[in-house]
Amino acid sequence: MFCYQCEQTMRSDVQDGCYTDKGVCGKTAETSDLQDILIYQVKGIAQYAQLARGLGVVDVAVDDFIQFAIFTTLTNVNFTSARFVSLVQQAAEVRNSIKDKYLAAALLKGVEAEVPMGPAQFDPAADMDNILKQESVAIVNKDHDIIGEDANGLKMLILYGMKGVCAYSHHARMLGYRQDDIDAEIERILTYLTSNPTDIEDLLNQALSAGHLNLKVMDLLDRANNETFGNQEPTQVRVTPVAGKCLLVSGHDLHDMHQILEQTKDMGINVYTHGEMLPAHAYPGLKKYPHLAGNYGGAWQDQQREFAEFPGPIVLTSNCIIEPAKNYRQRIFTTGPVGWPGVRHIEGGNYKPLIQAAKALPGFKADEEEKTITTGFGHHTVLGVADKVIDAVKSGAIKHFFMIGGCDGAKPGRNYYTELAEKTPDDTIMMTLGCNKFRFNKEEFGDIGGIPRLLDMGQCNDAFSAIKVATELANAFECGVNDLPLSLMVSWFEQKATAVLLALLAAGVKGIHLGPSLPPYLTSNLLAVLVERFDIRVNGTAEADLEKALGHAVA
Amino acid sequence: MSEFQIQLKTNDGQTLSFACDPEEDLVSAAEKENIFLAAQCHAGSCGACIAHHESGDYRLGECSTDALTAADIAQQQVLLCRTYPQSDLMMTLPYAYSVVRFEKMPEREAEIVAKTYLTEDTVKLDLQLLPDEDESLSLDFEPGQFMEVHIPGDEAGAKRAYSLANAPNWDGSLEFLIKLRENGQFSTFLDKTAEAGMKLRLDGPMGTFMLQDHGLRPRYFVAGGCGLASVMSMLRRMAEWDEPHPVKLFFGVWSESDIFFQQEIEALAAEYPKLEYQLCVTEPSDSWQGYRGSVVAAFEAALKAEKGKPDIYICGSPGLIEGIADVAAVCGVDRSELIYERYLANTQPTGATRCEVVAPQS
Repeated sequence: MFCYQCEQTMRSDVQDGCYTDKGVCGKTAETSDLQDILIYQVKGIAQYAQLARGLGVVDVAVDDFIQFAIFTTLTNVNFTSARFVSLVQQAAEVRNSIKDKYLAAALLKGVEAEVPMGPAQFDPAADMDNILKQESVAIVNKDHDIIGEDANGLKMLILYGMKGVCAYSHHARMLGYRQDDIDAEIERILTYLTSNPTDIEDLLNQALSAGHLNLKVMDLLDRANNETFGNQEPTQVRVTPVAGKCLLVSGHDLHDMHQILEQTKDMGINVYTHGEMLPAHAYPGLKKYPHLAGNYGGAWQDQQREFAEFPGPIVLTSNCIIEPAKNYRQRIFTTGPVGWPGVRHIEGGNYKPLIQAAKALPGFKADEEEKTITTGFGHHTVLGVADKVIDAVKSGAIKHFFMIGGCDGAKPGRNYYTELAEKTPDDTIMMTLGCNKFRFNKEEFGDIGGIPRLLDMGQCNDAFSAIKVATELANAFECGVNDLPLSLMVSWFEQKATAVLLALLAAGVKGIHLGPSLPPYLTSNLLAVLVERFDIRVNGTAEADLEKALGHAVA
Repeated sequence: MSEFQIQLKTNDGQTLSFACDPEEDLVSAAEKENIFLAAQCHAGSCGACIAHHESGDYRLGECSTDALTAADIAQQQVLLCRTYPQSDLMMTLPYAYSVVRFEKMPEREAEIVAKTYLTEDTVKLDLQLLPDEDESLSLDFEPGQFMEVHIPGDEAGAKRAYSLANAPNWDGSLEFLIKLRENGQFSTFLDKTAEAGMKLRLDGPMGTFMLQDHGLRPRYFVAGGCGLASVMSMLRRMAEWDEPHPVKLFFGVWSESDIFFQQEIEALAAEYPKLEYQLCVTEPSDSWQGYRGSVVAAFEAALKAEKGKPDIYICGSPGLIEGIADVAAVCGVDRSELIYERYLANTQPTGATRCEVVAPQS
């Protein structure tokens, strides 16, 4: 096993990365190796899909598979070897299918068919033991010694960014939104990664291409969410439980959320959101369900304690599962790309087993004192009051904006974001997205002339909202985004955040504060390039970084 | 008296540490620190606390030779409830960290719903759990696990262990398959006294015989007599979740009169077409139309025809386990790869399907 795709990966003087019999995330060596093989195969599928596309053959099912398969390999998504063996076998079938279509199209058009090398030629063994013996061709950093650590680091940056891209695209597809140019670009970049590139400048450009691609994907997902469920609107969300039967929905997928609400209506079951599902409360098409009762708990890394205390079943829809403890394992369900051995997986949107569990389990015995937070400040909302915001900036009432976004994690350095939020001056606005806000979003920050100082824009993919707002403000002030009194404080943990970072860089945003620690595959040379070209700032102390952002010391 | 440091490594790589003095067994020492390992009889009789010795010196107390066989000893296996440290020790456990409990086993109350004689001496006991302190009906168990049932009226608090035959569910229904033993304490109660509406106390769930995630390898299940209970629980779970593995069940009984659950198995196979099964009768009558011979022979024929290496789950007597292990070894499946649970009927004069405290054999 070798994996260093997330921030919590093992670090040591000898080698960074998880390379023993189990990753820090809980992924076994077996599962990790199967994931490497699946990624390798998906690149092979992309090679043929790109060739087929060149001859006018597009197979949506192939793109569905590419994006879903990659999603299963993100951090904290799927830990089930059996699922990966099944996906590896399915990947071989998908590759054969698109290869056959390509060969048929070439024959029909009278052109000589190309024979792509590497992953496209890989055939998996018949069973898991023998598939695992093939791992050496697919190990994620196998070209490190050939292409050098800088080129390898950029390849990893692109690959992990593409994982985030595919995950976001999958969420959009679940709502019926897909774009052919996105699928084509995913295939192109995955194919590029099979070519052992060593040119640093070219690799940097490809990383920015992945960022541009993610801008498109986040735009698509933004439209998918807002057009399907109505534009987000500011909404008070109860964060304390009410008496009654209950179930908890965790993860990002609003399509799953909608299905669960629909299937539980009029059953006397209260549905709670967890973690990144919080923004669901802000969409009219979801908040219309009266049994969408509130938000429960904090960020993903607190789940082992919070899930144990939740008196109903819990379903995980995307990248947030950690090993379910024994005292709540039976109450956990997974769906979509998610999986854990011995945990019930729901296929095809039939949530009957979940509902049965909700009816059987005790639920909350009594109401707790009502407490609320506010979410729903997507770009439609914020730009809806743009005049007010602009006036407040012009009058000096708002001096600075902070976008605090990204994922939370378990490591101690993440208190930085709490400290940062608490120390922001009263004449500044914070726009939050992702799950690192759970460290401070239940605190009271007040408002500036009726504009709340903390505007929650939504999930990590709602970074698109932040970019859109920043762009509109820059237009209004007739300046560039980097000239705005705006600082971006991005915490990364996994690959969706990597994709968001690339998107921000592609959008030309400079001066991003990145932390709490840097990806291990970013070498000192690469960091120097990012600092030089994008003014990337590595987290210091909250106080010092605030001072740098504001241009003066904070009180 | 000086204490030694004990480290137990679970099969998913986590380590449990506690202190133990030389006159104390490892299971008891762990429990003092609220680490509840897989264990049952605490007397070297049942084999539930089997572990692998890695390093350090120890003294092994008396154990049943069925619970810790010569083959086990040759492979550096110990029973933790009979292991007394003579130095710091390192052992590996054959189960995951999540199996270890850090609080005492919960006790539940259940009502007898039905008692059904499946054969002359095999009873299906259906229980309905009563709500626990959180008003929950369900029991959090894994297919393959067992419960300990308190023998009603026994002042010494004697219990008998029985595997659950149904899949985990939310309505608190429990199903057991129980072999009646002559003069067995619980057997006598069940046969003579038990009736619908009576209440029983149960501890659990316990046990480490569970489904393992080894990719999509075929799964072979071998059950002897009431060993079918835990296997049925696993198969029912697999059917409910529509697990994709090819599945073969080999169910062995001595004679036709010992056959039970045939309709249930047929119904399960109809619902879950991936399940193939073979009912094996060792000494059938001339009119028996099905497989004639031991379950080990049927298993051997299937294993030799199998292209890959299946996961092999066995629940039955020590003789059955050894028979399957010998055949599996010839076919290239090492004993350490077998997933099994043995019940020690021959050492249990009072009728438990699993084990009870008996005088250890030297």
